[in-house]
Amino acid sequence: MYLVFTTNSFPWLTIFVGLPISAGFLIFVFPHRGNKVIRWYTIFICVLELLLMTYAFAYYFQLDDPLIQLTESYKWINFFDFYWRLGIDGLSLGPILLTGFITTLATLAARPITRDSRLFHFLMLAMYSGQIGLFSSQNLLLFFIMWELELIPVYLLLAMWGGKQRLYSATKFILYTAGSSVFLLMGALGIAFYASNEPTFNFETSANQSYPVTLEILFYIGFLIAFAVKSPIIPLHTWLPDTHGEAHYSTCMLLAGILLKMGAYGLVRINMELLSHAHSIFSSWLIIVGAIQIIYAASTSSGQKNLKKRIAYSSVSHMGFTIIGICSISDMGLNGAILQIISHGFIGAALFFLSGTSYDRIRLVYLDEMGGMATLMPKIFMMFSILSLASLALPGMSGFFAELVVFFGIITAKKYFLMPKILITFVTAVGTILTPIYLLSMLRQMFYGYKLFNATNSYFFDSGPRELFVSIAILLPVISIGIYPDFVFSLSVDKVEAILSNYFYS
Amino acid sequence: MEHTYQYLWIISFVTLPVPMLIGMGLLLFPVSTKKLHRIWAFPSVLLLSIVMVFSTDLFIQQINSSSIYQYVWSWTINNDFSLEFGHLIDPLTSILLILITTVGILVLVYSDSYMSHDQGYLRFFVYMSFFNTSMLGLVTSSNLIQIYIFWELVGMCSYLLIGFWFTRPIVSNACQKAFVTNRVGDFGLLLGILGLYWITGSFEFQDLFEIFNNLIYNNDNEVHFLFVTLCAFLLFSGAIAKSAQFPLHVWLPDAMEGPTPISALIHAATMVAAGIFLVARLLPLFVVIPYIMKLIALIGIITVLLGATLAFAQKDIKRGLAYSTMSQLGYTMLALGMGSYRAALFHLITHAYSKALLFLGSGSIIHSMEGIVGYSPDKSQNMVLMGGLTKHVPITKIAFLLGTLSLCGIPPLACFWSKDEILNDSWSYSPIFAIIAFSTAGLTAFYMFRVYLLTFEGHLNIYFQNYSGKKNSAFYSISLWGKQGSKILKKKMRLLPLLTINNENNNERASFFCFFWKKIYQTGGTVRKMTCPFITINHFGTKRIFSYPQESDNTILFPMLVLVLFTLFIGAIGIPFNQFNQEEMNLDILSKLLIPSLSLLHQNQNKSVDWYEFVTNSTFSVSIASFGIFIASSLYKPIYSSLQNLKFLNLVAKKGPKRILWDKIINVIYDWSYNRGYIDVFYAISLTEGIRRLAELTSFFDRRVIDGITNGVGFTSFFAGEGIKYVGGGRISFYLLLYLFYVLIFLLISSSIFSSFSSL
Repeated sequence: MYLVFTTNSFPWLTIFVGLPISAGFLIFVFPHRGNKVIRWYTIFICVLELLLMTYAFAYYFQLDDPLIQLTESYKWINFFDFYWRLGIDGLSLGPILLTGFITTLATLAARPITRDSRLFHFLMLAMYSGQIGLFSSQNLLLFFIMWELELIPVYLLLAMWGGKQRLYSATKFILYTAGSSVFLLMGALGIAFYASNEPTFNFETSANQSYPVTLEILFYIGFLIAFAVKSPIIPLHTWLPDTHGEAHYSTCMLLAGILLKMGAYGLVRINMELLSHAHSIFSSWLIIVGAIQIIYAASTSSGQKNLKKRIAYSSVSHMGFTIIGICSISDMGLNGAILQIISHGFIGAALFFLSGTSYDRIRLVYLDEMGGMATLMPKIFMMFSILSLASLALPGMSGFFAELVVFFGIITAKKYFLMPKILITFVTAVGTILTPIYLLSMLRQMFYGYKLFNATNSYFFDSGPRELFVSIAILLPVISIGIYPDFVFSLSVDKVEAILSNYFYS
Repeated sequence: MEHTYQYLWIISFVTLPVPMLIGMGLLLFPVSTKKLHRIWAFPSVLLLSIVMVFSTDLFIQQINSSSIYQYVWSWTINNDFSLEFGHLIDPLTSILLILITTVGILVLVYSDSYMSHDQGYLRFFVYMSFFNTSMLGLVTSSNLIQIYIFWELVGMCSYLLIGFWFTRPIVSNACQKAFVTNRVGDFGLLLGILGLYWITGSFEFQDLFEIFNNLIYNNDNEVHFLFVTLCAFLLFSGAIAKSAQFPLHVWLPDAMEGPTPISALIHAATMVAAGIFLVARLLPLFVVIPYIMKLIALIGIITVLLGATLAFAQKDIKRGLAYSTMSQLGYTMLALGMGSYRAALFHLITHAYSKALLFLGSGSIIHSMEGIVGYSPDKSQNMVLMGGLTKHVPITKIAFLLGTLSLCGIPPLACFWSKDEILNDSWSYSPIFAIIAFSTAGLTAFYMFRVYLLTFEGHLNIYFQNYSGKKNSAFYSISLWGKQGSKILKKKMRLLPLLTINNENNNERASFFCFFWKKIYQTGGTVRKMTCPFITINHFGTKRIFSYPQESDNTILFPMLVLVLFTLFIGAIGIPFNQFNQEEMNLDILSKLLIPSLSLLHQNQNKSVDWYEFVTNSTFSVSIASFGIFIASSLYKPIYSSLQNLKFLNLVAKKGPKRILWDKIINVIYDWSYNRGYIDVFYAISLTEGIRRLAELTSFFDRRVIDGITNGVGFTSFFAGEGIKYVGGGRISFYLLLYLFYVLIFLLISSSIFSSFSSL
């Protein structure tokens, strides 16, 4: 069965996927004119890509249509019917725009990097491509390829520009993620070879397929392991604090802002959409895991002395809300999960950015060594406070709304009985008490109080215009989503409804 | 008039431009914004005055025709879920609007002078205006989600304002404590809202009450009664935290670390009233569940007693007032629990004005004292160092006295009318509660007069401290940052090196030390510029120039005088004037306002207090209060010998040698009160330690077990690889051995299989 050229006019998505990496290759042929040219060039490419995406989505994407749009399908490998199939729908639109936004800002944040700046910027652009390719691929094998494609840049970024223990962390990262993607590949091949003689990797055809229950459960477990490592879901999360603790903060922004979201996105895209029966079996267990994760990661976070690890565990804790939202199998829960994906993408990235910039100044990573930075760096203090408050779900910021909607998702879920609902809600809500404990004590240890720094070997600048710009640029969407959450809801509402129509009780 | 109501949503947003503009200015043009800082007070006050005019208009309309208006706009629409934003104007809202705006304006004016030399002047106004915005939003909310949103926002403002002087470690602990304690309450509130949504499917108050009543009266089996009670309790727990009621009151005394205007506005008059507001708003819902009403009353009475006893031995003037606030809020909560809605609101209003007056008065005192004892709150707010201020700050003294008398419940003043009403109602509710409530009225008079007498009577004690030359007196061991330093500053010896340190890296540290205190003081005709309180102490140590506190300037006195007027006359709104002359029209302003709400509550309809009963009751309560005042003045009337020690009670009791038992009792009460009822200690040991242990345990588990498994697998594979490398060592004999070994095993297995087959 040949799919016709469904692209109506212009291969937008192919351009979006191809542009950054091909522009990245050009970096290597640049004449040696210093790092400045490379930096400006990379930022230019990122901004161009972001603007193009915004333009294309604004004009060629219908929000009220739950089907896949802007589809492109080119035959790539004739031998086993492998297509270059791209397309986006309401589910992937948000993460793609998030990717563009965060990557641009991360490139801007990475300006202090001078060592090997060619390779660094090339890797940033390669990641950009990989991520957009992942979010827009409509083919299982392509999804897998993109999944693998962005691993290599992260590994290199971590291993070359990380902190002291970078090799250990990088190895851990690559072992975890590469190990998990074996399961992804197995699942993908299993789905592809089931039922028909020739492999079908197409999402749409596999979505309509039904499998024997045991087989579906097996597939589900395979995909779940892959996404659980990435998302992360406990107990497969330990790569994350190490990786975040060691990586340069621009890499951290990408990791926290986008990479973690790939796992959650995969859960919705593959586990929920393709394997709906298995999902309804597994979701009641996963929701418990999600609730435990929130508490567990939050309490682990307050035990961390390392600033970046503390924020990393807070990411783990916040991703618990996504899992709960996905597993509540209710309209609001899933919407909330998507909102949480976007919202935490902003907030997590911003917190890592700020912690990195303050590390640049004081050169201390342990919280108990810090103190009294507020008078020296009032602007960083302000942004840090605001974003910590955003992270602890203060109303008026996006985090609050995402968590609230997830809560309503649990309450309105028709799948569960009253008692489990009460328990899950209760346990999840305990997380809202633990969150301020670790975030505020982080603020307290860093900024409050006073301390005499040895004036000779440390120098303090407050945020410069670039850093201020980055943090405000992240703050603005956080606040605007918090005030008017329909910005994000309007993207995903119809698609969510379409996904949930596969489930009986919703 | 419909139009005014329709556009009233703007009320909560009128004051929003100020924080936004200043915030942007501070970020983008810090220098010029800071230069122009005094100008920014003006728009804040102006915008709040506009709101006040609006709300006065509204109030008058509500008096004439009290009715409920509600407008909603849809905020976010999902398929089966829509959130709405709106405002609800009813008598409760209009009363609170007036309260917030009047106190807010006065406090803004006050803080213009109070904070004028602070580096964070603009930041202060940003927070204050934002607080006003969110507080106004809170009281005009039309649904529970909106309440929750603004509830958290006022909590955040409170957090930021408590942590305003963030260089002091005590402050940073206090603000975190306040936020986390409030978050515990919010946790309950959120769960309660979710539960109610599950039961009724709505957030709007009107729908909520209707559906809820139907559910209760129809006695549906679907909704378990226990679950309903649980939800109501969870909602109430939000109010417990915000209004500093018994189990979650610990944050309020610590919150006094914030600047004094904040204590007046947020932690006495408005934000802590939010909990009362919530209970009052949801009273139609609570009324149908008798257990909850009993619980509310119980929590109220516990808080009343606890707050009063804890206020005994505070030496910090603001903490004393904070416990008093807690106790008075307990009265209000008690009134709500008893179902006397009107009395609760009445006391809320009168208490808010009186307590704001007291706090502003204490701020004025602190402001005067700061010049003498230095800027550490441990000294400037310490009542032990005060005394004899009557001569120096006469206007403040009068204002403070009036506030004290009002809080004690002395007749013509505001709190008398409201407290008396609550006390009267408590007789009909439960005699035990009434006895506690009445005796606490005496305690209130006692501790308030203790504060008053210590502050204003006698002579200025700071110099006695100096004359006595006690090195180990607590106040000199307290370092600038409020840390209980183990070092006892031995006057000059230790101070001089500190000073030199200051001078060495003056550039670096200038921002530190001049954070609060750059002020020129006029003492004894010489102008001294004080950049650092160390210098001040030094002066006293060496030169012994005696300066005396001075009356604050007019900007500080003016709001206090206005509040004095309120304290004198606000009681009039609740006094049933008409009942003495006309029998058919026995309605005061407050009752007139609250008719619709009262009719919603199905009770307390016809409560005509007759004149005789009123007089007997009030005589009783006033005599109890005067007894408390008498005890206080007999104990704390300036006796100079008692000033040497902190434990006044001890000294007084020691007069009689026989009264050892009495002495012990006093000591126990004193220790109980001084240690805040051991509740903070208990929380610190059980909860804080518990969470810390949990955190350590989980991070240990995470690092050793979960990560350990991963690392273990890594190491095993590494060693296995190494092992295999050794196996392949290249010795032929070893390979042959292995080969034979495997062949042997193979043969064994195959023979056993064959034998089993052949046996079949």
